[in-house]
Amino acid sequence: MSAKTMPNTVKKRAELALNDDFLRKAVKFTTERLRNGKKNASAEHGNWDEWRERGRQIRLHTIAHLDYYLNMFVDNARANGVHVHFADTGADAVRIALEIAKNKQAKTVVKSKSMVSEELHLNHALEGIGVEAIETDLGEYIIQLAGETPSHIVIPAIHKNRYQIADLLSEVAGEKLEADTTVLAGFVRKKLRENFLEADIGMTGCNFAIAETGSMVLFENEGNARMVTTLPKTQITLMGMERIIPSFQDLEVMATLLPRSATGQKLTMYMSGITGPRREADADGPDEMHIIIVDNGRSLQLGDPEFQELLNCIRCGACLNACPVYRHIGGHAYGGTYSGPIGAVLTPALNKNVAEWDDIANASSLCGACYEACPVKIPLHEMLIYLRRRKVEKGHGNKLEGAGMKGFAVLMGNAKRFRAALKMGQIGQKLVVRDGGIRAKIGPLKGWNSYRVLPSLPKSTFRQRFATLDQEIRQGLQEMSPEIRGRMEAALKKREREGGGGHHG
Amino acid sequence: MADTHQEWLRKMEEQSRAKQASFMDGIAKKLGRPRLAKAPEHPFRGAPDFWNAFEWTPEERIERFSDNWRSVGGHVARLSDMNAVRDFIAGKAKEMGARYVVRQNEAELAELGLEEALPEAAVSVWNTDPDTYWKARSAEADFGVVMADYAAAYTGSVAVLSSKDKGRSVSLLPTVLMIVIPVDRLRTRLGEVLVEFDRAGRENLPAGIHFISGPSRSSDIENDLTIGVHGPGVVYALLVG
Repeated sequence: MSAKTMPNTVKKRAELALNDDFLRKAVKFTTERLRNGKKNASAEHGNWDEWRERGRQIRLHTIAHLDYYLNMFVDNARANGVHVHFADTGADAVRIALEIAKNKQAKTVVKSKSMVSEELHLNHALEGIGVEAIETDLGEYIIQLAGETPSHIVIPAIHKNRYQIADLLSEVAGEKLEADTTVLAGFVRKKLRENFLEADIGMTGCNFAIAETGSMVLFENEGNARMVTTLPKTQITLMGMERIIPSFQDLEVMATLLPRSATGQKLTMYMSGITGPRREADADGPDEMHIIIVDNGRSLQLGDPEFQELLNCIRCGACLNACPVYRHIGGHAYGGTYSGPIGAVLTPALNKNVAEWDDIANASSLCGACYEACPVKIPLHEMLIYLRRRKVEKGHGNKLEGAGMKGFAVLMGNAKRFRAALKMGQIGQKLVVRDGGIRAKIGPLKGWNSYRVLPSLPKSTFRQRFATLDQEIRQGLQEMSPEIRGRMEAALKKREREGGGGHHG
Repeated sequence: MADTHQEWLRKMEEQSRAKQASFMDGIAKKLGRPRLAKAPEHPFRGAPDFWNAFEWTPEERIERFSDNWRSVGGHVARLSDMNAVRDFIAGKAKEMGARYVVRQNEAELAELGLEEALPEAAVSVWNTDPDTYWKARSAEADFGVVMADYAAAYTGSVAVLSSKDKGRSVSLLPTVLMIVIPVDRLRTRLGEVLVEFDRAGRENLPAGIHFISGPSRSSDIENDLTIGVHGPGVVYALLVG
């Protein structure tokens, strides 16, 4: 589904997802596989919480001193011969990237996976000036052919089956390709090889940037990021301003947390540290290297006690796989570049438009599974509550819901009123109760009763029964069996003999 | 064109340097304090202490490295010396019918004498001829042969560093990759290798440091594992010594 035709509420988008049986099953299968992979990998590694805590500390420390470390990174990258650029907004970043492409008279750009680039809709902008942008990650390539956006941060084409993929690739091949994974991947390998060798520019994202050496680090399994940073003459790296870690030693902690959390791997097949363009005598690697440091709303989180920790995120996708809501509705229902719990918080935070994105914050059960899964312990479930609060504070709350809450407060604030209301309910419900449940889709019950049955109010409430319950319990105690009573009395005497109230006194 | 491009780069550089100060000031302001001039105290550098004390014996390292390498679909051979390495590579080249071989320009690999051992294959040595387009030469190669600079057993990873004699393409573009790993370069933890780059310092780092942990792979089509998507699909770790 293309971004343009997407409905504008999470509820409608989720309905589309829930109707798509394959999508729902694929998302469930993949997320479960990844989640189990992570569980096994973290258990096998051991001391997982200590590693998480260390990861959190390193990220907290770097972000708290970001001006120092980012500045250090920039100075070192320049010393390595990199051209560094700063982009306050997505538009700035696009402008800089296009200017580089124009100056290099580029015809083709080969890209490895970059979430920042998705955030900027850069491919579209490049096409606008006549530059072909080719995604080279297998999953990204597939969804680019389909004209779609990624639905999972780690497995972007999670929602496509092999027949759909075979159709897409057959069109490129000009012949019918068999819907067989090896055949399809083999075709893409051959096709993209030519592109790698001919492209003018290679474009990458950046998993981590090392302040002390000015190096940028990429994690990947396919080898396409290595192609993109080895073969074209010019390399452009898009880097979120918060990607910094101080040293290579700190990279060990990130390399321990990221692949295990993302896919359950001990390490991705390739981890590359790129330090500047090729040295003069080298026979491969780019002649010219650019790094565009992108803010685009990230700095809005700095100094915000509720959201600063969002910048600790290492983009592993573990929260997506853990989330019961994501597992049901898939990534497209979130409507932004980032999906799942991290997307629900990050999208409104980066855009500072709580009102427009508010409904995503509501697509959460607040169960905290995302926090449990997060390798750097970002309290996403709490952030979702902060978002909801901010939305109400800014006057974007649901008016009906607000009125309902006020009414509820009036009722609950006074025992007499509450009792009277219950009484009315018990009488009133007789009109709608069938078989002990209410199925009528009327008034505020419409949403709930569309999928479920509301239980009826019981004949007598807990409060009405409390006196009886209380009596029963007290009597029960009196009727204690003589045996137990004897034991308890003996224990009491023993304690008295030994003097003092013991430790519990 | 070249002049105007250099001119444009200079202009961009100026703009970027001017912007740098305000960008960092903006960050400090949002963090609610003046810009940091001095290095902040950094108490949690690298892995937890208990981890840094962890080490396997050389034999354990070899065993665990091999297990990890095999578990992701890589191949392992334990060889006694470089003669055995030559014979192994020659045997595989014959078996698979390799016609083009590219190797790094390293003393240990030169001593192997692959040229003589592989009479049916064209063996090229990286970056030894300025007129050759070395990227394409690697792309057409059936075998790439490289030395490992470091290896880590715990993750089953090999590190290869670039230089004028060591192309990044040689470990990336050929169909089959042969990595020769002298066992004294095999450490226990990834951190033991990474710390070397901190020690070396920025000025001494190569342009490309690549950790390789097995064959290129993807699960992007219906979660079905595919080997050899972009990089080499057949990868041999030859442990020597």
